Amino acid sequence: MVIFGASGDLAKRKLIPALYRLVQQRFLPAEFAIVGLSRTPMSHDEYHARMKSAVEEFSETKGVDAEVWDSFAAGMYYLPSDIGDAESYRKLGTMLDEIDRERGTQGNRLFYLSIAPEFYAEAIRQLGAAELTKSKTGGWVRVIVEKPFGIDLETARHLNKEILQVLDESQVYRIDHYLGKETVQNLLVFRFANGIFEPLWNRQYIDHVQITNAETVGVEGRGGYYETSGVVRDMIQNHVFQVLSLVAMEPPAHLGAEAVRDEKVKALSAARPFTSERVRAECVRGQYGGGSIAGQPVVAYREEKGVAPDSTTETFAMITMFIDNWRWSGVPFYVRSGKRLPKRVTEIAIQFRAAPLELFGETMMEGVTPNQLIIRIQPDEGITMRFAAKIPGQQTRIRSVNMDFRYGASFGMKLAEAYERLILDCILGDSTLYARNDMAERGWELVMPILDEWARSETETAFPNYEAGTWGPEASHQIIESQGRHWRKP
Amino acid sequence: MQKQEHTIALSTTKGIDVGKLERELSAMWATATDSGAGGTRSGVTRACVLNLVACTTHYDDRGALDDLLDEVIEHHPCRALVLITERDALEARLDAYVSTRCQLSSKGAKQICGEQVTIEAAGRVVETAASAVAPLLIPDVPVFLWWKDIPQYDDKLFKKLVALADRVIVDSRSFDQPYEDLLHLAEAVNGRSKGIHFSDLNWGRLTAWRTLLAGFWDVPEYRPHLDNIDRVHIAYEQPRENSAPVAVGTLLAVGWLAAQLNWELATSETTPTEGGMQRIGFRKGERLITIELQPVPVLNEGDPMIVSTSLTASEGDAEFYVKLKPERTKLVTGARIGGDAHDAGHVLTYEAKSEGERLSRELNFLARDTAYEKALTKASRIIEALRLHQR
Repeated sequence: MVIFGASGDLAKRKLIPALYRLVQQRFLPAEFAIVGLSRTPMSHDEYHARMKSAVEEFSETKGVDAEVWDSFAAGMYYLPSDIGDAESYRKLGTMLDEIDRERGTQGNRLFYLSIAPEFYAEAIRQLGAAELTKSKTGGWVRVIVEKPFGIDLETARHLNKEILQVLDESQVYRIDHYLGKETVQNLLVFRFANGIFEPLWNRQYIDHVQITNAETVGVEGRGGYYETSGVVRDMIQNHVFQVLSLVAMEPPAHLGAEAVRDEKVKALSAARPFTSERVRAECVRGQYGGGSIAGQPVVAYREEKGVAPDSTTETFAMITMFIDNWRWSGVPFYVRSGKRLPKRVTEIAIQFRAAPLELFGETMMEGVTPNQLIIRIQPDEGITMRFAAKIPGQQTRIRSVNMDFRYGASFGMKLAEAYERLILDCILGDSTLYARNDMAERGWELVMPILDEWARSETETAFPNYEAGTWGPEASHQIIESQGRHWRKP
Repeated sequence: MQKQEHTIALSTTKGIDVGKLERELSAMWATATDSGAGGTRSGVTRACVLNLVACTTHYDDRGALDDLLDEVIEHHPCRALVLITERDALEARLDAYVSTRCQLSSKGAKQICGEQVTIEAAGRVVETAASAVAPLLIPDVPVFLWWKDIPQYDDKLFKKLVALADRVIVDSRSFDQPYEDLLHLAEAVNGRSKGIHFSDLNWGRLTAWRTLLAGFWDVPEYRPHLDNIDRVHIAYEQPRENSAPVAVGTLLAVGWLAAQLNWELATSETTPTEGGMQRIGFRKGERLITIELQPVPVLNEGDPMIVSTSLTASEGDAEFYVKLKPERTKLVTGARIGGDAHDAGHVLTYEAKSEGERLSRELNFLARDTAYEKALTKASRIIEALRLHQR
């Protein structure tokens, strides 16, 4: 596995700890080797030392087993290199051939592009020019491309075009770490391995769907990057749409990668396009002002490092989506995502229609809401079903109660990090949990009218319009409440 | 009640570390499950039927508050978030501690356990403390806010905590300016937004009285006389520290009667009389109803209580009464019509409840309490009428 950007944050925090965990769990063969590439000059040993302290700091596993680490590090190499320099790729080719001979890696190569997005195309071009995208010995060659995949529809299409000039689509793995989360994977199981839910999974029984993706953090020193991004580009067009497509998709013909990905794209293809009118009436953007998180005051977005004092970048977005097909016609999917919200949570809430007849009077129903199914993606992963029950006693009083499934409680094991599953899938050649080129482009197609409309009406922005530590601008509540519904308190 | 407590710092310069706090709690539960809390070998079930946010300014109360929560968690396994604030502290400080609480189980049975997070906020962070509470609330179970002090409705912390809650619990008996504070409470209750309802522990103290008084209307032969009530006499113990002429609980009782019987306040008939008694006039059609509120000295160290309530109809010479027996553990009811005792009198136990039991009882209710709201509105009208006469 060749990691571009091997001394970067992602490699330290996620990739190397994930690979170490996979080794610990004996998912990787003894022959497995890592080559780290980055501009920083250092020796193999220096790289080992840095990565060891990264695993100690960031791995969920307590402590590093010295023997396992030594064996893992024996297959870890480092090559100082420059992405735009052909000589670097020649040296890389030579090193990989040597590793093939020494460790018996059989010409199987996985290139992980953990670098700034503007270098993706160049890295792939150089790999192609150095003839590293095809195995000389009959092995496989795959490339994992990190997010963001483009900054708009045009750049995403251009990037796809450039990548596919060098690689076959089957070699490209566009990573979205949300798809590696257990609960997201469990969506397919929950819907299609159970007989009781799917018959209810349609417009006849479901009133609406809420998807909340909330972070308490601000831009954490990445103000410069975030100024060019915003929450729609950073979260909604990729992570949230991936989750939404799993909720909305039809049953696949089989569990093969293409069959699943076909259905996901079909669901998003049926999403109603956003017109200017729809953006104004059904979408809200926000930017946080000063407030407090976890008991401490925090500054406004415009006061963050690297952020313009008159920035119009959105740190919160709420959009109303409709999937215009037979299953979902008329069912709104309310999506909200933002920074500096009261708690870190990602969840899908399916709200079912109310019982057809209100047999029990209002006074008996103590805050009872129609049935809800809540799929918690993070933290405290699990599923909750809410239904009405009689409170014990002489009177008929009714309250909503929960039927809970918690991963932690039911299986008593620590859930794997998303990157562990995704890297392993790529090594095994299973692209089910990766985004295909058409999915990546469809996400951009959907959000571009929103971004364009917001860019056109930039002068109308009265930012900041929500206090840090609250659930976003008041307008996001007004839209849903005007339709007789309420946002949940996750 | 068995208690496992970890006093560990869970706050950082970035506020309370919610992830660490949850991990600590999980670890404590794992320990409790492995060994049985408190060393028993029986299993432990972590349960949470509600979130209870208890907010107080009194550090000294902490021990008593912990004991009270033991009682509450026994009836309602929950996540209790205790927020202790010290606004005047010069140094800003935010600390959190976690503990689990298990009730003793019968041999071999599983223990049902709840958990407590105590947050101490001092200085300028008090205003932002609600943002430390929000991420700790367990979703999809009701949130009760127990505001132990006198509510300050414009206070930023109060408003933010109310916004998190489904129900707010106060105690109008602790009001230090009873009339003023009750008027503010009525304003807040009537102006409630987004489905937030209020409970008043003082209202809970009247439950037995209200039940027994309402019971008279269940007897068909009493009803014609009850429709002609023209005098109500309530004797009540006036709390020593109370600065108002009429105890708040008594006003709520009168407000409840008036609201339920559709009596309209007759301000001109509302007058103070000799001996501290207050006379309040109501009308229903042509009928004038006089309510006499008679303070009596507090008889012992227990909670000041209503001592007796009698409803009298001159026409037909009928009287219906509920009295507290001297030993303060029983209520006796009776009816007399035309000079004859009509029943032998019912005696019912009246156990003075602890604060923990009263709070537990309030946690059973989530819906809007329209009877309380109407009683509170009437009580606030009475206060306005009494004040008119004081001027």
